[in-house]
Amino acid sequence: MWGRRGGKENAPTPLRPHTSTPLSLETTMSTLTISTQTWPRLGLRRLALAGLIAALIGAFLLSLAIGSVNIPLDNVVRILLGGVPDRATWADIVFKFRLPKALTATLGGAALAVSGLQMQTLFRNPLADPFTLGVSSGASLGVALVILSVGATGSLLLAGLGILGDFGLAAAAGLGAALVLSAVLLVARRVQSSVTLLILGLMFGYLTSALVSLLIYFSLPDRVQSFSLWSAGSFGGVTWSQLRVFLPTVVLGLAVAGSITKALNALLLGETYARSLGVNIRRARFLIILSASLLAGTVTAFCGPIGFLGVAVPHLCRNLFNTADHRILLPTSMLLGAILALLTDIIAQMPGNQFVLPLNVITSLFGVPVIVWVILRQRKGA
Amino acid sequence: MQLPILKRTNAHAIITLLLLVALLTGCVAPVAPTSDATPTPANEAAAATNAAPVANLTEGCLENYDATVDYFPEKATVVETDGFTVEYYNHYKVVTVATPWQGATEPLQYVLVQCGAPTPDNFAADQIIEVPVQRFVGMSTTYLPFLDELGLLDRLVGIDDVTYVSNETVVQMAADGKLTSIGYGAGVNVEQALDLDPDLIMTYAMGAADSDAHPVLTEAGLKVVVNAEWLDPSPLARSEWGKFIALFFNKEAAAEAMFAETAMRYNELKALTADAETKPTVFTDSEYQGTWYMPGGQSFVARYLADAGATYLWADDVSVASQPLAFEAVFDRAQAAEFWLNIGYIGSLADLQAADARYADFAAFQSGNVWNNNARINASGGNDYYESAIAHPDIVLADLIKIFHPDLLPDHALVYYQQLK
Repeated sequence: MWGRRGGKENAPTPLRPHTSTPLSLETTMSTLTISTQTWPRLGLRRLALAGLIAALIGAFLLSLAIGSVNIPLDNVVRILLGGVPDRATWADIVFKFRLPKALTATLGGAALAVSGLQMQTLFRNPLADPFTLGVSSGASLGVALVILSVGATGSLLLAGLGILGDFGLAAAAGLGAALVLSAVLLVARRVQSSVTLLILGLMFGYLTSALVSLLIYFSLPDRVQSFSLWSAGSFGGVTWSQLRVFLPTVVLGLAVAGSITKALNALLLGETYARSLGVNIRRARFLIILSASLLAGTVTAFCGPIGFLGVAVPHLCRNLFNTADHRILLPTSMLLGAILALLTDIIAQMPGNQFVLPLNVITSLFGVPVIVWVILRQRKGA
Repeated sequence: MQLPILKRTNAHAIITLLLLVALLTGCVAPVAPTSDATPTPANEAAAATNAAPVANLTEGCLENYDATVDYFPEKATVVETDGFTVEYYNHYKVVTVATPWQGATEPLQYVLVQCGAPTPDNFAADQIIEVPVQRFVGMSTTYLPFLDELGLLDRLVGIDDVTYVSNETVVQMAADGKLTSIGYGAGVNVEQALDLDPDLIMTYAMGAADSDAHPVLTEAGLKVVVNAEWLDPSPLARSEWGKFIALFFNKEAAAEAMFAETAMRYNELKALTADAETKPTVFTDSEYQGTWYMPGGQSFVARYLADAGATYLWADDVSVASQPLAFEAVFDRAQAAEFWLNIGYIGSLADLQAADARYADFAAFQSGNVWNNNARINASGGNDYYESAIAHPDIVLADLIKIFHPDLLPDHALVYYQQLK
């Protein structure tokens, strides 16, 4: 039981004749969500959307302005306008460190939130996200296979392959993610209980983690070193040359996700309903898996496993916007995911202090309360 | 293998000569470690008469114990390190490890009793260790150079993991099946450890009961001693832990001589840089999992850099432990630094740049002054810098001086360091 649909999920719903206009689908959705619907529609939502966009721009600028090194604001502005700062290294810090990191956090946060949203809908399970379903572990396995076993030079694999290496890594992570996601989905078609599914996801996760550990055990220390360099969650490790791969892949994943919001909405009603609405279930499912694994896989490939944004952001959006409509949830999850990724990264950098905290510490501090809240709510409803 | 050269007394000369003969005639199987029933010549010399011995007993046990005799005429004097102390009594010595692990509040005390002499009262059974130890297990590669140079490798029956060992004798011993790897931490193979029947297992401890080896081994009834050399922030002091190891074999004289020579060379080298005209700026390490762990201003690395006549850019830091820094913070302070050291497993400048293009923006990268301490790395990735260099801080210091001030040591050839190409 999730979102704001209350106890109405199984109640007979009047099915309207389906036309292909978005308006009609919107009406269908609202008959489902009407019970607790308190928001006046689109007008205020547009305002909220504009607010989110403004917040994103603000968070983005903030992450350019503050970091471990104290660069005075006027210098940051001067650097961004192409001027010369008081210290030469400051320009490099803004352009080579903070800008790629802010872009990565923006894209990464959006990608994780959207893949989390898609998985929650696909599995009709409020706790689904790249982590709980073992998708991140699958991506890790893909990367581990590449780094630990293929690297022929004995040095950093990425070094030998350059941008091809980056593509290879993203592809391996995406394939690993898709493999686990498909396996979970295959089981999901036979098993109804979402708890069972979640446990299976965890099991798949453990299995892939065990395989990664086994690979590490039998690998040379320098490869293990490269792998452990990779496996930490961090937005800061993505450089401009990697962004050339990261950015188009994430944008593609987001575009695919954006093109199937109707199918996602339809799936919410259950497969029978979706079919009766004219949705090609097989195709929709394939596209969702494609997009979710592309997004989760790429982020895992370049930033390492980053927890909680995927599960927490969609829930926040459902509550903030009081809807289950993916045409609203998708863009808002994207925006909120990006904002939160930027903010958690800023906190992890502990501005004004040379030290850094692991990003996952911050995302967990933020994400755990959300998950606990979801579970408790579900208990109460059951 | 090297034998300690002792010239002070005739007894020393005789013992050394006898040991030499024993070693030369029995190269394949040196003096059988378990043969304490048959007294060696050295034992006879010391134990036959009740006159005060002139040398410590390095083999076997006492036969006629005399409470009035000082059985440890050769004593260790600890000068550089605060990590351990030793008090001598007639037939036993009390060794105290001040801080056995990081943040330990209680010291650990061991009572080293001369074999054949009575056990003193007032100590717990697991503190009592009979010396000289005949069957030894060392759980860190850092003990190996001392064992080797004190002529004690024939007492070594087990180690943690031979994969990372650089010492060729030890690698050969393992290949010949004379050495058992028993694993490390709480995952140590207790059954194998028991099967080895060691007199002593020396290990390090992190202070976490569920990850350390010593609680498990002590529980199994084995004699375990915690060596805390790795916590010592001074390179020279760290090499003095050779004396700590020697205490368990009554090899104080040899260890004293070994350390005296190291200390002399170290201090001579350090004095060389005192008048150096320039003190080039240095930073170390590389980013690891989103964090750049920079050695603290009071750390081992910082000490080396200061002694080698360099300006460590984080020397103003007051901690021993490494500081988790953001890449941009390191870049801000070290972009113009002249030297970059100890970058980890990365093998070339190209690999370094490929790992993160921003590494190439450091001035040290552009001038090619990136040096790594991995010149002596074995096929499995074990680095001798973390093994033999522990006993030879003088050689490491010479390497560093050669890097920073090549004109001060024109003839020195680098041992542990190499320049990244």
